[in-house]
Amino acid sequence: MDLGEFEADNSVSCRLVSEIPQICRTEDCCLGIDEAGRGPVLGPMVYGICYCPVSKKEELKDLKVADSKTLTEAERENLFQKLDEARSFVGWALQILSPNTISTSMLQRAKYNLNSLSHDAAIGLVQYALDSGVQLKEVFVDTVGPAEKYQEKLSQRFPGLEVTVRPKADSLFPIVSAASICAKVARDHAVKGWNFMEDLGDVDTDYGSGYPNDPKTKAWLLKYLDPVFGYPQFVRFSWSTAQTLLDGKAATVHWDDDEEDGEKAAARQNNKSMLSYFSRAAGGNDQSSTHQTHRFFTERRLHSLDAL
Amino acid sequence: MSNSSVTHVQMSSAGQTERTAVHLMPCEIEHNGPAQVSQYFTAAMKDRKHEKTVSFRGRGLRGQELSCPQGYTGLVLKEVNKPGSDQEDRTVRVSSVFDKLTYWNMETPPNSDDTIVMAMSWPELAEAIHGPVDD
Amino acid sequence: MATKKKHTPNTQNDSWVVIAADSAIDTQKHDSGPAFVKLRNPSTDSASLYMLGSDVQLYEVKAFKEDFHSWFIGQTVQRDGRLLYITPVDPLFLILPYLMKSGKEGKFQRLDQVVMDEEFPACSRLLSCTRSLASLHHIAEEKEVGGQKFHRYSQERTMDWLKKKVERTVTALKKSNVSVGEGVKSATYVRVKQDSDANEEDYLRYAHGLISEYISGDLSKALLGHLQLPELTSPKETEPPSKKRKLSDKPVEAGEDYTKFNSADFARKPPKKMTAAQKTLAKVDKTGMKTMASFFSPKVKTENK
Repeated sequence: MDLGEFEADNSVSCRLVSEIPQICRTEDCCLGIDEAGRGPVLGPMVYGICYCPVSKKEELKDLKVADSKTLTEAERENLFQKLDEARSFVGWALQILSPNTISTSMLQRAKYNLNSLSHDAAIGLVQYALDSGVQLKEVFVDTVGPAEKYQEKLSQRFPGLEVTVRPKADSLFPIVSAASICAKVARDHAVKGWNFMEDLGDVDTDYGSGYPNDPKTKAWLLKYLDPVFGYPQFVRFSWSTAQTLLDGKAATVHWDDDEEDGEKAAARQNNKSMLSYFSRAAGGNDQSSTHQTHRFFTERRLHSLDAL
Repeated sequence: MSNSSVTHVQMSSAGQTERTAVHLMPCEIEHNGPAQVSQYFTAAMKDRKHEKTVSFRGRGLRGQELSCPQGYTGLVLKEVNKPGSDQEDRTVRVSSVFDKLTYWNMETPPNSDDTIVMAMSWPELAEAIHGPVDD
Repeated sequence: MATKKKHTPNTQNDSWVVIAADSAIDTQKHDSGPAFVKLRNPSTDSASLYMLGSDVQLYEVKAFKEDFHSWFIGQTVQRDGRLLYITPVDPLFLILPYLMKSGKEGKFQRLDQVVMDEEFPACSRLLSCTRSLASLHHIAEEKEVGGQKFHRYSQERTMDWLKKKVERTVTALKKSNVSVGEGVKSATYVRVKQDSDANEEDYLRYAHGLISEYISGDLSKALLGHLQLPELTSPKETEPPSKKRKLSDKPVEAGEDYTKFNSADFARKPPKKMTAAQKTLAKVDKTGMKTMASFFSPKVKTENK
């Protein structure tokens, strides 16, 4: 699997796709969706789809794809190789959500949570398959969240498709297993070959599984904590594991939308604008009242100083 | 600082003072002192079509370069030794100079309504208000 | 996720980011280095920070200050996110209050005896600003006796000088993209770039407001009269407060006391001869009162005694 496109800029989201098998444009197809790397505090989350003609389901089964989680890394590589060899009837596409995309989305002003983020990635991939002329009929989705709601959402979004959302779908439907293998292989590669944008010299790559409870991951997070910047973009800042470590060991940073600070700032701002609104009426002539600064300066946040 | 105390600015080194990159961040960082700015920040900065992007502590920032107004120079002043009493004169020295700065917004694309951009128009207007009046 | 974070005080601030006029800091041509001094702010009557430039001119310090900012400076963090502007200031603005105060005695006086302030010893250095002495005739009458110069405050000259300042500022504003039109401004207010609505009076009032940052409240009002700008007659300006008032059932009260300026400063000590500016002022004030009476209840006048 060539992740070159993602590695060129691993701060953004990236889509990688296989060639579309000719047969998928003419025959009714099934499509599986699965994700890899949802839980880890490190590295990207990868959404994968795999699709093949409904008529080829048995042949896919013969490849002996199984849930990626039950396989070793080598087995996954091997199976991805097999899927690649079956490219005459199996296609795939991946959406790699960089850890920076995850952090900045989840932490942005209008919070974009991980569920919406993953749903949108899945929807984007299905739409990609449709747009590419894949004759989709059945869609099978693995989910960790409530299946009914997600199924309803997808069915509404794609009225022509028969959507099945099921927990553990990756062990029930081979096409989902295939998707999970593609996603997991991409995630493994991305983490292993992570190209740090930051200028950190030789980074210790022994970060373990990336799961917060993995001692290796924990040790790595402690080792690479910077008191000002926190972490390189490889780390998901929106994970409580990272937040907790930073709260304890890094400089406090205040943003205007921090809960407490934001409220205070809003109150202060309201106060200020109310004051300036009525100032003319409320004692502009009163010598004892404080001098009212002209709006040229207030609009530009310019203040006189009384000391350096 | 009492009203009688004077703060002298040591300019002697200005000629040789190093030019420094300065970034105005859209957050308050409770820290004064060294930081690996070039390693963590500058190295990860991206510059596309006049808009810069970077992230800090997992938040997406969008930035823009601003030049100092014509006839103006950016300085960073540093206090040499804080005097014991507020009656004494103080001394600051020019520790670095700059002719442009980069300011960063949280998520919003930089635009001419940003307060710092508006504030940059102050020196020009000040010259008009305070320039000598003809007889 | 957002944990409550407490602000700790910034106690170790020893560095400042500044944008300074080159003339203030040019040590190539001058020997003396620039220095920050505290002087009496003519508008607020309290201490403000100024700079005596290496060119022996006066500069003021204004800070761009907004919550939630810090600096990266090279390989350091500076928590204080302010940006200080050091821009020229006309020293006459700062000399003016001293001159006006001594002018009450009506005598010509030596300037070094006028510009004295126990609270702000640095004020004597205002007289060493090269521009000060050369431009004093804008605000004072001069007399030379035995090689020594004596000065007496002139309201008429001052008004003309301030008017010229306003006009200069109007010209500069028109060239700039500063939005001078009236309106409620807030942090979220989106300014309209093309300020096509702005009329001559908007510019004049805006410029007057800017100049008023450097003079006393009384002088600001007198200048308004001299510019023949009635107080609070612009409907745009009165609209928001008056609208708001109409909504409330409470009895209306005067927003501003127009009688105070007259009674406090002129009525008490009526000048023997009224200057042109004062005449205009008196006239304008009356119309101002008329306008106000039509706006608010007449009760106001008696209440303010």
